[in-house]
Formats: sequence, structure tokens, C-alpha cells
Amino acid sequence: MERNQIIQELAKIVGKEDVMASEMELQLYGYDASLIPGRPTCVVMPSSTEEVSKVVKFAHDNGIPVVARGAGTNLSGGSSPTEGGIALLFTRMNRILEIDVDNQRVVVEPGAVTLDIKGAIGKYGYLYQPDPSSEKATTIAGNLGENAGGAHCFKYGVTSNHVLGAEVVLYDGQVVEIGGKSLDNPGFDLPGLLVGSEGTLGMVTKLTLRMMPKTEAVKTMLAIYETIADGANTVSDIVKAGMIPTTLEMMDNLTIKAVEAAYHVGFPEDAASILLIELDGLKDGMDRMTDQVVAICKKNKVREVRVAKNDAERDKIWAGRKGAFGAVGRLRPNYLVNDPTVPRTRLPEALAQVVEISKKYNLPIANVFHAGDGNLHPLILFDQRDADEMDRVHKAALEIMEICAKMGGTISGEHGIGVEKLKGMPFIFSPQDLAAMRNVKLAFDPDDVYNPGKLLPAEKAA
Amino acid sequence: MSNNDKLASKMKAIVGEANVIEDPEKLKAYAVDGEAPGLFVAPGTIEETSKVVACANAEKLSIVPMGSGTKMGLGGILKKKADILLSTRRMNRIADYDIANLTLGVECGLTLAEAQEKLAGEGRGYFIPLDPPYSRNATIGGIVATNDSGPKRFIYGAARDVILGVKAVMPNGDIVVSGGKAVKNVAGYDMTKMMIGSMGALGIICEVIFRIYPKPDAEATLLLPFGTLNEAAGYLKMLLHSKFFPASMELMNAKAASGITASAGLKGPYVAAIGLEGIEEAVARQVAELGDLGRKGGALDVVTLKDQAHRDFWTAYRDLTGTAAKSSPNLVDLKSNFVLSKVPEMVMAFEAALKDASMEGVLTCRAGNGILYAAISPGADAAAKAAAVASMVERLTAESVKQGGNLVVQGAPRAIKEKLSVWGKTRSDAVLVRRLKEKLDPSGILNPGRFVAGV
Repeated sequence: MERNQIIQELAKIVGKEDVMASEMELQLYGYDASLIPGRPTCVVMPSSTEEVSKVVKFAHDNGIPVVARGAGTNLSGGSSPTEGGIALLFTRMNRILEIDVDNQRVVVEPGAVTLDIKGAIGKYGYLYQPDPSSEKATTIAGNLGENAGGAHCFKYGVTSNHVLGAEVVLYDGQVVEIGGKSLDNPGFDLPGLLVGSEGTLGMVTKLTLRMMPKTEAVKTMLAIYETIADGANTVSDIVKAGMIPTTLEMMDNLTIKAVEAAYHVGFPEDAASILLIELDGLKDGMDRMTDQVVAICKKNKVREVRVAKNDAERDKIWAGRKGAFGAVGRLRPNYLVNDPTVPRTRLPEALAQVVEISKKYNLPIANVFHAGDGNLHPLILFDQRDADEMDRVHKAALEIMEICAKMGGTISGEHGIGVEKLKGMPFIFSPQDLAAMRNVKLAFDPDDVYNPGKLLPAEKAA
Repeated sequence: MSNNDKLASKMKAIVGEANVIEDPEKLKAYAVDGEAPGLFVAPGTIEETSKVVACANAEKLSIVPMGSGTKMGLGGILKKKADILLSTRRMNRIADYDIANLTLGVECGLTLAEAQEKLAGEGRGYFIPLDPPYSRNATIGGIVATNDSGPKRFIYGAARDVILGVKAVMPNGDIVVSGGKAVKNVAGYDMTKMMIGSMGALGIICEVIFRIYPKPDAEATLLLPFGTLNEAAGYLKMLLHSKFFPASMELMNAKAASGITASAGLKGPYVAAIGLEGIEEAVARQVAELGDLGRKGGALDVVTLKDQAHRDFWTAYRDLTGTAAKSSPNLVDLKSNFVLSKVPEMVMAFEAALKDASMEGVLTCRAGNGILYAAISPGADAAAKAAAVASMVERLTAESVKQGGNLVVQGAPRAIKEKLSVWGKTRSDAVLVRRLKEKLDPSGILNPGRFVAGV
């Protein structure tokens, strides 16, 4: 079908104003926060499940790909329409439909911004635990698509542990309900498969999330080190002591400097690394636990431990961490953020290898990492106008993935495969593993309507 | 040579002669819903399992996997008898022991109890955060394949929240690995979650990587008998929405309480059991404060259990169904799931249905998760009671659905199962359940007809 006709037909479903196809709009919605370029045929903004279903049915019947989009903060190219098609923009469907305190659930539309949801339920004294650092921009369904993590994963898990149900539009427009407000609904763990499927299995039009009562007490600490190893060893020792902090986040010197230049939160610019530690729970014993943590830091040659005395101080520490990528983005025109994960005990080794790779390819690499989970974020800094540098960046990224895979880790801890990490998939998956996943895709979307070219590498010709 | 003889030869060549049983008399011990399988095969490794399954798949022969057999009553009745009963018990090694990383890789045929014993003795003591029924016998594979869970799921979550990776043999014989030792992993589809609870319909789980936890500093239990359901449920609801975070919050009826030493003497038709774990100060405070709140909420007594008494209570509690089954071979084992706020409604619905059917049941409720288990004794003649039980199950399923959930018959005599939809109400997602089965098991060889939507 010719483009103008496609636009006409879609306008019949969602209304003329909600189909966009100007040159500016095609460019604006043709990229995301990765380096993967794309260009949609047109952009459609549905307002209801019914509209999504009709748009999808139309797309399916006419062989047009559908690429879901929230705020476009995707870091691996998952929202980039690399094969054209309809960029299905969910930002209008952004309502919080029901805050069900009695059942500790919140039901939301896919385009609701994660931080807005937290604010709304916060008024009732409840928390939605996953906290991706981009939460003030991301849409909740975007979090679902990537199985977003964040800084609180070590204790509370990731998006997949907090999404309990969804309304989903399938490849042919059929609408189904998976999971629900209750637990253990009989059947396969369909929410488990959907979360992290990067828009390739279904379009989510409603989500049921778990919310938890706020804890009584929180203690946030900033530990300052002269070496990265001392910080990493502190993390090991805290875990060995049997503690499960809510958060264990680290940053290296390059990142610290960038954060200070951007936000002035008081991080010391001459420190080799800082470690952000947070404990939560009942207030009883929390002081003793804090003392224990400080003692462990001291045992590992910490320069200083600052314990936040109030919410304002706590917020400032967190602002520095959550704004890290944004701050690093100011250092050079572009960055590519890697997302590999290794078993926590191999983290110091992985970081040492990243330093070697930085030297080998002559690229500055800033490091932010979820030390408790073994999830590193080497941010490789470059200028994309320099073709040689681009080439080295991709080689460095691939090598980092391979090294981490060899340590028994994975190539993506939370940002997804998208397009960017397709080449790394054979580092962790055998042909049999990939074949099984392809069957899952075929079960959900036999006609490859949804986000073609993402997540799974193309099958090699026989 | 008969077909079965030929198959037996092939199996013996893969797993060794000693690990195949062909004798029809001996095979009766492995009957599924009263029907003996054609052959018993026990592979010793995932590679052997792969070959067994590939061979069966080529000939479209059906396989029913089995661990210790504690949950063989779960699921729909097989359309025809199983060609192969595949025992996982020889695959019982600890595959990867990485305490520093807080992960443990284990083979499916190991019992959870053995894995826990090994971990308890290591350093400061560690454990796998799962406490399902059949505490001595259940194998890890069976627990994970059926997504069985226990009271501590309130704080630790269920299998999907504590398993980082799975190695499985797919219906075509392929060995497929998902996840690993990393706590966070979003590469590809979450096949680990797909396999958990899939009841052998999509593959045979051969190895699991668990996230393990250090033993808590302190533990204790509070038992609070109440005179009315509303008071008991009200206390638990208050706790659920509070800043306190117990490890377990359970509600049981008198019949359940009478089956456990520590609670047998308590006066009151309903008993709330609160399990506490954590640092010393936090546990001490909760023992004091939750006891106080209990009394203010109508508790007739507050009993504190520590150390061995505390451990013994929860072991006996977990094993209530297994214990009931010993004295009641026709046991009907039901599991209802529903929204958190409807605990009293569901308990009342079960009590009313049991009363109308003139039957007794051990009722235990995960008050913090919205799950209710009923171990019901229909009496000596299962067939005679089949219609009454079926009608009761229908009524309770409708009530569970009304309260946002569903109902599963976890076990029942064959005569009763034949009259029931054991997986409750079919929902709109059945289309996906069927399609996944079609794509992953096109010849329909694994546990055919035993799972949801008839797959």
C-alpha cells in the first residue's frame, strides 16, 4: 500500500491529528537514545486499547511493521524504526487508571511516566520499587519492554518482579489479558515472557503493578575511595557479612568529575571512586548496621564516609547518581553505554579489563556501575563525526561484551539487545538457545509485525 | 520384538540397563492417575536426558517427567498412558557452588532438603529462599516445574523471583540454557521464567541456578489464636499494610492448627502465624509490637516460638497436606488465588462449601499473598462423592474468579478429577498457552493434555 493511503486509513482509526508524517516528525520519532538510526513510514498516537487493536490489525493485514514507542529513551535501538513501518507512540495513553491500596496494586496505561506513577502512589504511602535512572522521562511500558533495572535491584528486583499483569494486543489485533492483580494465575508465565521482550511480542495497553508500603527508615551513605578496587572490595565484604543493602552503586573518577561539573552535588573530584550505599527497613538496629558498614569501608581504606542526615542530603547524593549519564553526555558529543553483567565476584576483574580496552582503542571510558548486581556501565565517549573513532567504539563495545560473557556473565543487564547488541548474542547463546527463542517469537507473532530486526539475530541461511 | 521392547533396548543403550524398568508389575509403582507407564527410564545426566527425549520425539512417544512423585496428582488426566516415565532422580548433583557470588547451581533430581542441608553447614550458613510442601522429599525440578511455594514467599517471592538460570531439555531433545549466574539479565526472552511452573509441558528442567541468601541473624514466630475470622483477617490486613515486614503471614483454621504440636493447644477457631527474620533488634521489636497489636486486635493469646520450636512449627506447617494425605488417601487438594483484600471472603466461601458438602478441610492461607490451600477429605468412597466434590469445586472456582483469581485442583482421586476442570476457568490468554505449546512441542510428547488449556 502506498504511503498516502496508509496515512489515510490510519487517520480513519485514530483521527487525522493523531497520524503524523511531516519530515520533522519522521525525523523526531526516527531515533532513540542509542546510536541506531531509523525512519518510520508515519507516526500514530492511539488513545485507547481499541485504537491500538485496530491499528495493529491494519498493519498486520498490510504487511506494515509496528514499532512501539514511549519516551524514546531506549539505549539499544529498540524504539528506532530500522525497518520503517508505524512508530506507535503511546505517550497519550498516560493515565494512572486505578490506585488499589487494599490490594497493593496500581493499574496504569503504557505511556504513564514512571516517576509520575511513583508520585501518585507515594501520596498513599506506597512505593513502586524499580527505579531506572531515567524514570523521570521513561514510560512504564518502556520499562516493561526492556525489563528495566535501576539502583534498587539488589534487594528489590527488577521490573519483571513487579509487573503482575497486562492487557496485550497481539499481532493480529486480538486483545488478551495475562496475569492480573492476583498471584499464581494458572498457565505459563506470560508476564515473565513479555517483560523484556523489547516490543517484539505484543503491545501492552494496560499494566498491573505491585506496590509496597514505604519502609520506616532509610540510611544513605557516600563512601569515598582512592582506588576502584577498594570500593569493589567493600562491596564484597558487605555481602560476605550477610547484609543485603538496598543499593550498592559505584562511579569512577571521570564520571565524578562530569557529575560535579554538571550538578555540583559535592562529590570530591580527586577521588578514584565513590560508593553509594543504602540500607532500608525498620529503624531498630539500623544505626548498628550503619556502623558495621562504615567499619567495613574503613577496613578497605576508605578516605571518608558521609552519612546523609536528612532527606535533602539524601536527595543530593541520589541526584548525582541518577544524573550521571546526562552529566557524562557533556564531555564529548556522543557516548555508547555498555550494559554487561558479570557475577558480582568478578566485577573488579571486569573493570580492570575495561581499563585495558580503553587504552587499547584509545577511547575515554567513564564507569558507572551497579556494584551489588555486577552490572557495569562503561560509557565509551567519542565523536560520531569521526569515522575511525566510530569503528573503534563498536570494536571496543563488542570486546567488552565478549569478555564479560566469558566470565559467566551476560551482554545486557538492563538496557536490552535492540539492534546494538545483536552481534553479541552468539557470545551467550548457542544455536539451540536461539532456536527456542525464535519459537517463542513465532508463538506470539508468527508474521513478524512487531519490531522486526530486534532482539534476535537473523537466522543464518542454511 | 514388540515396539516397547525395541524402545527399551534403545533406552538401555542411552542410560544403561540398570536404569530402565520394563516389568509391568514394577511399573505399577509409577502409575499416573492410576495408569502405569510403558517404560521407566532414569537418565543420569542432561546429555542422556537429551538423547532420551530426542528419541521419543522422533517416534512421537509421550514422556511424563517425575522427581520424587510428590505432586503427580497435579494436572489433567493423560489422554493415553505415558510411553515413558522419565525419572530425574539420578541427576542429583550440585553443579556449581559459588557462595561468594551468592548463587548455587543444582541438578533437578536433588531434593530441596539436601541442598538446604549442604548450604546450612557452609560458613555463616546460607539457604535457598523456598519453603514449599513435602519438605523432605520434593525435588528441585518438581518444585520449580510446578512453581510450588511456601509461607516465606511473602518476603522472598516465589521461584521466579529467586531463580537466575535454567538448563532444560526441549521436546526436540535440544539442550537450552537460559540466564546464568548474573543477578540481572535481559538478553533475549526470559526463557527461565517461561520454564518455571510450566509443568514439563515445554521442556524438562534439568538444572537450576538459585540466588541464595545468608541465614538471618535472628528468627522467631508468633502464634495468635482468634475467636472470629474477621478479627484474625483484620489483624493480618493491618500487618500487610504496615511498615513491618514479616517473613511469613499465615492464617489457618482449627483443623490445620490441631495438626501441629505448637498450635494444637491454642484455643480459637482461627490462628494467625507470623514468621519473623532479620537483624536482632528488628525481630525483637516485632515480637513485642506485633504481639501487642494482636492482643489489641482480639487475639486470645500470643505464643512466641524460638529456635527448634520455631523451626519445627514451620516444617510441620509446610507438610500439613502431605500429612493429611497419609491418613486420607482420597484427599482433594485445592489451591485458590485471589486479590489480597479478600482473605475473609475466600475463607468463608470455603467453609460454607465444605459445610454444605459435609466434608472437613485443612485450610491454610498465605494472607499476604492472596493464596488459600484446602486439603479436603471426602471420605472413603471417592467415586460416590465425585459429584459433590465437583459441584463444590465449581462453586469455589466461581468465587475465586469473582475475587480476581482462579482455582486449581492440585490433586484428587481419578474418579473426581474426571468430573473437573482442574485448572479452573479458561482465560483469554489460553490462545498464547496453546501457541507456545504448538511451537515448542509440535509433536505433543511432553505431559500431553496435563496442563492449562488442555496442552
